[in-house]
Amino acid sequence: MSSPLLDVWEAASGSSYHPAVGKNTQFTVGFVLLFTSLILGAVFGLNRSLTNLPLLGVPASIAFGFGAVYMICAVGVYV
Amino acid sequence: MRSISFLASCIAAASSFAAAELNQSKPLLSKQVLPSTFTPPQVFKNNNLVKNINLDKAYPRETINVIIENIDSKPQSEYYLPFETSLISKIGGLEVRDRKAVEKGIFKAEVVGIDEDSSTEFYKIHLPEPLAPNAQQTLSISYSVLSSLYPVPAQIAQSDKQYLQYTFSAYTSSAYLTEKQRTKVKFPNSDVPDYTSLPAELNDEQKADPQKQGSTFTYGLYNNVPAGASQPVSVRYEFTKPVTHATILERDIEVSHWGGNLASEERYWLVNQGAGLKNHFSRVEWQKQSYMNPPTFALKGLNLPLHSGAVDPYFTDDIGNVSTSKFRPGKKEALLELKPRYPVFGTWKYSFRVGWNADLSSYLRKLSTGETYALKVPFLEGPRSGEGISYGRVNLRVILPEGATNVKFSTTVPIVDNSTSLHRTFMDTLGRTTLSLTAINLVDEFRDRDLIVTYDYPWTAGYRKPVVITLGMFAVFAVVWVLGSIDTSIGKKKAA
Repeated sequence: MSSPLLDVWEAASGSSYHPAVGKNTQFTVGFVLLFTSLILGAVFGLNRSLTNLPLLGVPASIAFGFGAVYMICAVGVYV
Repeated sequence: MRSISFLASCIAAASSFAAAELNQSKPLLSKQVLPSTFTPPQVFKNNNLVKNINLDKAYPRETINVIIENIDSKPQSEYYLPFETSLISKIGGLEVRDRKAVEKGIFKAEVVGIDEDSSTEFYKIHLPEPLAPNAQQTLSISYSVLSSLYPVPAQIAQSDKQYLQYTFSAYTSSAYLTEKQRTKVKFPNSDVPDYTSLPAELNDEQKADPQKQGSTFTYGLYNNVPAGASQPVSVRYEFTKPVTHATILERDIEVSHWGGNLASEERYWLVNQGAGLKNHFSRVEWQKQSYMNPPTFALKGLNLPLHSGAVDPYFTDDIGNVSTSKFRPGKKEALLELKPRYPVFGTWKYSFRVGWNADLSSYLRKLSTGETYALKVPFLEGPRSGEGISYGRVNLRVILPEGATNVKFSTTVPIVDNSTSLHRTFMDTLGRTTLSLTAINLVDEFRDRDLIVTYDYPWTAGYRKPVVITLGMFAVFAVVWVLGSIDTSIGKKKAA
């Protein structure tokens, strides 16, 4: 029994989807990113200035954004 | 944080029960309605028809093998199969094939109703190629009849044998003249205390009707049975096994690109349709017997064979975690062995949920053409047992990542309804695209059927979650800086 979508599936054999960060490394990556974000945030907290806002705040926010996604996956809530 | 997630899961659990109750309304069965004057055009005749009724499982499975002949002067492609209105709502998984060319696949078959007062409805079978005048074709029509076995007696003692009664027509219902036909009934064993005997005059071979051969009974041969004729017969046979029926099965499949995970969850509302207990349940008797493991009509356990690679299984019910389960991961399949909190005797119910995770890489492929993904998952998993299980209604939800568009699906399971909506859960801003499929009257034979879903998922949509969190966090930093730089000191400002 053949259907168009089954052909599509067969045609894509060999290109199975693999995420950038595997299940086993999600916790490590998430933890490192969140910890980086914490350090950068703390440094910003000690020295709040307009130049430090983009210099420390932007990398801290990005690290927090990705770190949070990976950490919530690592604890079993697969978003 | 924990209490918030707990509250959220409570709300989710409560909403799923509410949704389950709503779903018990009348079955969604899209059908074409014909005027009451409709009778199928007499363009076919059935040359030879054999109906096999298999009672091995907890639901009758019927297969009609019929040689049809076009007696019209024009090619014909629409074959009608009539059922009584009360019966057609119990028919499940009707599939028609060409018995001599199985590779042609399943023919299209749809329910057509006649206006509300009519007692007959039809399955309209579309032959893929019109049958030429005087040409013949062999059809194999198979289906299951759900919720049609009745325990007689309806109440028995805890260690008694269970007997079920099944009523059917010795003449296969047909919209056309049938030249020769037989009905064969296959019982699970030769313990058949009661059955209807038909007068030998009806039988073309003038033999006793039915003919018995071990655990198989044959009604017929009958000659030239007109369209619409019926001859009700009943059989009562031993079946000391649970008659397990899931009134509703809700099945969720959740795709996570970030986590590389495919999460499955199944919620069952089971009922044993077998005989009830005559007296109170005796734990002592049950425990004494369980050592010898005799056949029983109570549901003691369920085995769920999962695909290999399944991890983190859970088994909970309304009370909480059910600890009487075993999980045996394996290379070929992972077996999840469940034991309900109590043996489920006839008329008793048990509802529970099971779930597990799996690596997404074995289910999801990225197509070479851009940002399109193809997902292939089993439409139905669930228990496997010798006596089988039937499903009144299966609600399947495939929860795709947030921002997935252009969802297409294909499956060989007969679907009565499909829709695409949004499902909102953790860390969502818009909500995840959700494909909902509904099937009614399925049986466990549909376990190995696949569902293929394709969807477009641009990489920009994939970054929505981290970007939203990043922006939120940056807003916090900005607010901290703004609030921190407000001068709240009293007194004169020092000159710079």
